[in-house]
Amino acid sequence: MTQTASTAKKPASTKAKAGAVARKASGPKKARTKKKQGQAYPFTAIVGQEEMKLSLILNIIDPRIGGVLVMGHRGTGKSTTVRALAEVLPMIERVKDDVYNRSVDEYIEAEKSQKGRKTLTPEDLTIEDIPVPVVDLPLGATEDRVCGTIDIEQALTSGVKAFEPGLLAQSNRGFLYIDEVNLLDDHLVDVLLDVAASGRNVVEREGISIRHPARFVLVGSGNPEEGELRPQLLDRFGLHARIITITDVGKRVEIVKRRHEYDEDPQPFLKKWSREQRKLQKKILNAKALLAEVTMSDDVLTDVAKLCMQLGIDGHRGELTITRTAHAFAAFSGDKEVTMDHVREIAGLALRHRLRKDPLETMDPGEKIERELAKVLGEVEEV
Amino acid sequence: MIAFTDIVGMDLAKQAMMLLAVDPSLGGVVIPAAVGSGKSTLARAFADILPEETPFVELPLNVTEDRLIGGVDLEATLAKGERVVQHGVLSKAHGGVLYVDSLSLLDSSAVSHVMDAMSRGAVLVEREGLSEVHPAEFMLIGTYDPSDGEVRMGLLDRIGMIVPFTTQNDYRARKLIINCVLGKNDSEDTEDELKMLRGLIAAAKEQLPLVSMTKEQMQGLIQSAVSLGVEGNRADVFAIKAAMASAALAQRSDVDEDDLKLALKLVLVPRATRMPQQEDVMDEMPPDEEMPPETPESEDQDAPDDNSDSESSEEDEQEETPDMIEELMMEAVETELPDNIMNISLAAKRKSRSGSRGEALNNRRGRFVRSQEGEMRSGKVAIIPTLISAAPWQESRRQERKKKFGKVNTALVINKEDVRIKKFRDKSGTLYVFMVDASGSMALNRMRQAKGAVSHLLQNAYVHRDQVSLISFRGKEAQLLLPPSQSVDRAKRELDVLPTGGGTPLASALFLGLETAKQARTKGVSQIMFVLITDGRGNISLQSLYDQDAPKAAKEEVEKEIEGLAATIFAEGIASVVIDTQMNYLSRGEAPKLAEKLGGRYFYLPNAKAEEIAMAALS
Repeated sequence: MTQTASTAKKPASTKAKAGAVARKASGPKKARTKKKQGQAYPFTAIVGQEEMKLSLILNIIDPRIGGVLVMGHRGTGKSTTVRALAEVLPMIERVKDDVYNRSVDEYIEAEKSQKGRKTLTPEDLTIEDIPVPVVDLPLGATEDRVCGTIDIEQALTSGVKAFEPGLLAQSNRGFLYIDEVNLLDDHLVDVLLDVAASGRNVVEREGISIRHPARFVLVGSGNPEEGELRPQLLDRFGLHARIITITDVGKRVEIVKRRHEYDEDPQPFLKKWSREQRKLQKKILNAKALLAEVTMSDDVLTDVAKLCMQLGIDGHRGELTITRTAHAFAAFSGDKEVTMDHVREIAGLALRHRLRKDPLETMDPGEKIERELAKVLGEVEEV
Repeated sequence: MIAFTDIVGMDLAKQAMMLLAVDPSLGGVVIPAAVGSGKSTLARAFADILPEETPFVELPLNVTEDRLIGGVDLEATLAKGERVVQHGVLSKAHGGVLYVDSLSLLDSSAVSHVMDAMSRGAVLVEREGLSEVHPAEFMLIGTYDPSDGEVRMGLLDRIGMIVPFTTQNDYRARKLIINCVLGKNDSEDTEDELKMLRGLIAAAKEQLPLVSMTKEQMQGLIQSAVSLGVEGNRADVFAIKAAMASAALAQRSDVDEDDLKLALKLVLVPRATRMPQQEDVMDEMPPDEEMPPETPESEDQDAPDDNSDSESSEEDEQEETPDMIEELMMEAVETELPDNIMNISLAAKRKSRSGSRGEALNNRRGRFVRSQEGEMRSGKVAIIPTLISAAPWQESRRQERKKKFGKVNTALVINKEDVRIKKFRDKSGTLYVFMVDASGSMALNRMRQAKGAVSHLLQNAYVHRDQVSLISFRGKEAQLLLPPSQSVDRAKRELDVLPTGGGTPLASALFLGLETAKQARTKGVSQIMFVLITDGRGNISLQSLYDQDAPKAAKEEVEKEIEGLAATIFAEGIASVVIDTQMNYLSRGEAPKLAEKLGGRYFYLPNAKAEEIAMAALS
């Protein structure tokens, strides 16, 4: 006995709608409170690894840069740094209790498209400030938890088909972090690629049909020796930071000491670093405010285009990323005008992973970029 | 059951366990040892020296992902009508010990989860509608037989101590264990000894916060880590902790030379990626006195560090400077090398000759990643997704049934279209084993082609989750340059330094390839392909490898060996491709013959481009 489509629709009259879920957001909320762990190691107390720290900061300043891929030796503080990020992130405004962290405009826009709803005005909504979310996507996550699925408890107990948002919903307007990203299951990579490209998550399963915004800064980390990253995913990351073992004994002693101090008793340690943390937070906020005023002259733009051309970078994502990143870097440095000095500082980050791969190439991509840059700037004679 | 104190030999392993019991934040102990060395007995006996009621959880190799990290407890969920969560093995070990036998055979997704739990101290469950954090702080005890393959470096990095690999005392230990089993030991003594050990550890735990280390000592340890090329910062922390735990065990408040030495031996030396360069120190060192092999005299374990080397006490009792610690390090390296570095830290380079375990530990061990609609009989039913899809219709179906039959006699009405079938991830693609003839004059050319082809294959085939392994053969025997890997970085690095010239030990290469293939099979790789880049003219026999004095084998004998191996490879269901790059006029048809024996394809591609070889393998 098979069901006809019409009977199937009936019990689903409480059609899962974003708005409806937001009002009874008990499910995901419960999960979130459980997740509250102790405060992370302070971002500013991390010794060295400037490349990674800078890339993360630039992504806070301008999330459109498109995320960071951090690859390097194991045990060098990759995940510690990313997890420390949450504490220096600014606050954002969202509609109160909205599971998709939508801003007022986004919310109204989404409601408008729902048929039969009265048009909302900003006055109808309550607003709250939340810290920019940082969501951890563990390797063992199943697709239904990532994309969201029907709330089984509700379904079993009351027969109501409610949508339970997944990690993609939680990470909207925030950061989505994947440790060991090079080991992520292929089907999850597909999902991510899809969502990252469109900025929307579309769920069509178990009789529910939902689409919600899912714009996030993708942060991945891993050790290249454990496996390669799929080229499409590699290309998605705006920046690529490399991280290597520090060989300076003094610095390493400092790392061990700080870690020990934190492990012994985190509270005094956090207090000790709170000033630095606040300072950085303020600097980031200032940069964010300044970003709109930062400009780039045509000359610099031409040089950037030349650089990308000479490096044989396919597509325009390279140029776009390097330009945005340079803007963010200028803002972070407190400058209103992007110069080639700014570009030089971040060129490696933005382009390293976009160079065409030559199996027999032995030159480090960073060096190659540096060399081409020098050529573009006329600092060396072209050969 | 054999108690901790009854186990003889493996003193260093026991010491490591004592340190771990004193400071669980050392993460764990890895014990590589050959089969029958009593390593698993020792691992299980670890519970003896821990406080009672400490959880001791054994991780089975065939563990499924939901059992490992936890999920929905179906039975309880249905009974209670609300979601009931079942904790996984990792969180069950919280506050206690997680024991993994044959750590190197654990499949890679399980390894990733263990790693993640160890760095987080918790398990993140994001599956089947669940979103929870379960605490999972545990000590990991891992044992493995190095001939089964290597343990992933990322995992080793999170485990504080790695016991140097020794084979010497297994025989002795076994004999004594037998004595134990036969009841020649007094059980009352055992109980007393254990009590004493537990007391010692409890006292050391109290002592631990009082132990301090000088800045010089710390610098010395870290300097050693740098000179040994230890990657990352975790080992620094572990080394310091190990030294301090060792001091605490001896009820001292400051760290001495023996403590540092132990830390070097258990933490830093096993992670070395290069030999330290310290010619000047080497010169000054007295001729290397034989380090007393771990002697049975230290059976009475009341003073755990009394088997440390006697030579150290000869040195003056002055403050250790970082330099002195480096000398200590050199000493440790000297006595432990070359065996240890070769066997453990560079396990990747090890050639394995033994220990094929047959296959099929893993028939349905793939990962359950999603569910989809399907026929009940076409696979495993995914119960929770099935319920989820059936749940919303219960009310209406019941009414429908009532209308039709007048009553409903089941609690749940599940229809055919609700059924969801589990889809498993195809764990691994194909393993390509490249065997490159590096002999003679064509060697250089062939090598460059192989290098290109390997890189090419890796880059193109990543989507299929393929792996590549590389064997070169020249001179007397074949060498495994790259164990199965997906990493272009590693492949390149291994390929960059590759000597050529000499004889053609083709048989040895086939043999090694077969071993590699068997090992890969135990890890769940089912499809294997050999890509041989050679002219097929083997002229060194396997025999000569094992018997140095054997007369140079006759041509027929070499051929016979190759033939036998080829037949075995064929019978194992391994596909082969032979790529002949020899100039036409030099070839005498050996390569096509080899391909035929292997039941594989033959390609004649002199001066083939890397892409062409890759294409040939893929097609």
